Amino acid sequence: MKALTFTLLAEPEERLDLSALTPAGLAGLADVQIEKLRVGTTRNPALVGDVFKVTGKDPQSIIFEGGSARFDKIGTGLSGGAIRVTGDVGLEAGRKMSGGALLIDGSAGDHAGSCMVDGRLEIKGNAGDYLGGPLAGEITGMEGGLLIVRGKAGNYAGERLRRGIIAIVKGCGDYAGYRMIAGSIVVAGRVGAMPGYLMKRGSLFLDRRPENLAPTFVDCGETDIAFSGVFDQFLIREKIMDKPLLGARPGKFGGDIAVSGKGEILFRRGR
Amino acid sequence: MSVAWVGSQPVPLTDAVRNAAKLLASSRCPVFTLDADVHGTRSAIALAERLGGAYDHAAGDVLAKEVALFTDHGGMFTMPGEARRRSSLIVIVGEIPVAHHELLQAWAGSQPDLGDKHKRTWFHIDGTETIEADKLARKLKAIPLGADGLSLPAVLGVLRAGLQGQRIAASLTNIDRFRKALTTAQFPVFVFSGTSGETAGLVMLQGLVADLNKTGRASSVFLPADDDAWGTALTSLWMTGFPPRTGFSNSLPSYDPGRWDIQRMIRDKEADLHVWMSTRGGETPPRGGKIPLISLSKTNSPTSGAKITISVGKAGIDHDGVSYSSRTGTFRAVQAAQPSELPSVSSIVGQLAQALPGRKALPC
Repeated sequence: MKALTFTLLAEPEERLDLSALTPAGLAGLADVQIEKLRVGTTRNPALVGDVFKVTGKDPQSIIFEGGSARFDKIGTGLSGGAIRVTGDVGLEAGRKMSGGALLIDGSAGDHAGSCMVDGRLEIKGNAGDYLGGPLAGEITGMEGGLLIVRGKAGNYAGERLRRGIIAIVKGCGDYAGYRMIAGSIVVAGRVGAMPGYLMKRGSLFLDRRPENLAPTFVDCGETDIAFSGVFDQFLIREKIMDKPLLGARPGKFGGDIAVSGKGEILFRRGR
Repeated sequence: MSVAWVGSQPVPLTDAVRNAAKLLASSRCPVFTLDADVHGTRSAIALAERLGGAYDHAAGDVLAKEVALFTDHGGMFTMPGEARRRSSLIVIVGEIPVAHHELLQAWAGSQPDLGDKHKRTWFHIDGTETIEADKLARKLKAIPLGADGLSLPAVLGVLRAGLQGQRIAASLTNIDRFRKALTTAQFPVFVFSGTSGETAGLVMLQGLVADLNKTGRASSVFLPADDDAWGTALTSLWMTGFPPRTGFSNSLPSYDPGRWDIQRMIRDKEADLHVWMSTRGGETPPRGGKIPLISLSKTNSPTSGAKITISVGKAGIDHDGVSYSSRTGTFRAVQAAQPSELPSVSSIVGQLAQALPGRKALPC
């Protein structure tokens, strides 16, 4: 069966809430019903049929042909199946995913992967601020799954991460791992100011020594553990990195000692 | 004197209201920038709800930062009066807006008279110095607590870790004096504002206050960057359950400081009509964006670039009203100091609602 395909007719005039267009949300709906789903967010909201040409039948495999920074909440609550977007997306892509795969060929806005629990979210371009982070009023951020950004991420990447892995391949902004509770964040490329600020536990893995670290991190010297090699292999096996990130005997900072101080920043020495 | 204009032409108020209502009725996504007293704010939010619009305050950026401390973390707060009467150790954190300097200097001229009756001591935690912050610290005779080259969030982290007994390489000037002051003070209070620094630093500050409460009492006083903006936040919470940067997509209120950032919406061409309110006088709408503008502002000439301008009065000057006072930490009635014929924002918004199709009055 051919993938259910939403082909963008023109740049939308309003922000779209695409949270309903998931395999679970579309299962059992006829084309006519799908075209009448409301996706616009203004007083005169657009329907699916106003914005997209709908073809294909298989709701377990959804493709958005074309993208826009106004595509909000794509893949919200995705629990199985696959969604692919051939362009950019807006806010909260893959929020609260609990399974399946979301692949974004372009860039994503703020809060991509917000509070995801499981599944795989891959962004081939850049991501905005608060990658994996919670929305206002929520207690914790991402709680599981794998979130990969092939480009750069903005500020506050991995805020209040509780479980799971976030990998950013071309650097990120300030406050990466802000208020981390646990889990792992991998960053290759330049990291902005204050990585790990207020982190309680968890691990930040960097391919270089951080330039602007909070003074509440303690230099623990170099580590001689098997973990770094195992983790490097995992990153290569998952095709996140094509060469080892940490190498043998990475350097380590412990912190943030203003809170519990049980977090760690491991980094490749010599860069 | 004219109080209404269509473009640059003076018109009767009823004509301006009718023209503005036409623009509102045909708008797909109207946005409202608020800056009024409680009644004006309530009316504007009710109109935004009816039109499926979104609203923010004119000082939305710093207000969003202040709100984020509450939505993302929380904290321990006390009233300014409690701090003045009970605290012998007051710590100024970062930069406090000039509007609050008089209040703090008044505290400096008094001594605590309830509970802790030690002579009051002042400290100032700073990161990047500014002239105004320096000036205030000198007037209060505040002892500096900081370190060269460290930002405010970094200083607060070092202080918090140091008070826990953690050993760190960085040290703060006057930290021993501060430790000694903490041992005698029964109710240390930290005074901060949205202008004090990034939300991350304010979260660290609240953690520090929480740490101190494990062995004694401590609290913080929040002095908003803008009293009117904070009043708008409280009014918005009361009406919708959310602070500004709220929109009425699907008729229900939703709060999102990114999505409903009005200036961003105008810049990104998501909004198609901007209703700009400003009762302070002398203000101009922010530049950028070329969507139609309805200006409800205290002015005696048409607002540049506005399709419709209606001159409005300010509560406490032109008419009676209710506004927020950080000095008391709550709302207060304000009487007109120089009563004028200028209409209130609330009355104009009410007339706009009545001129919309359906002619239904607003609930407030």
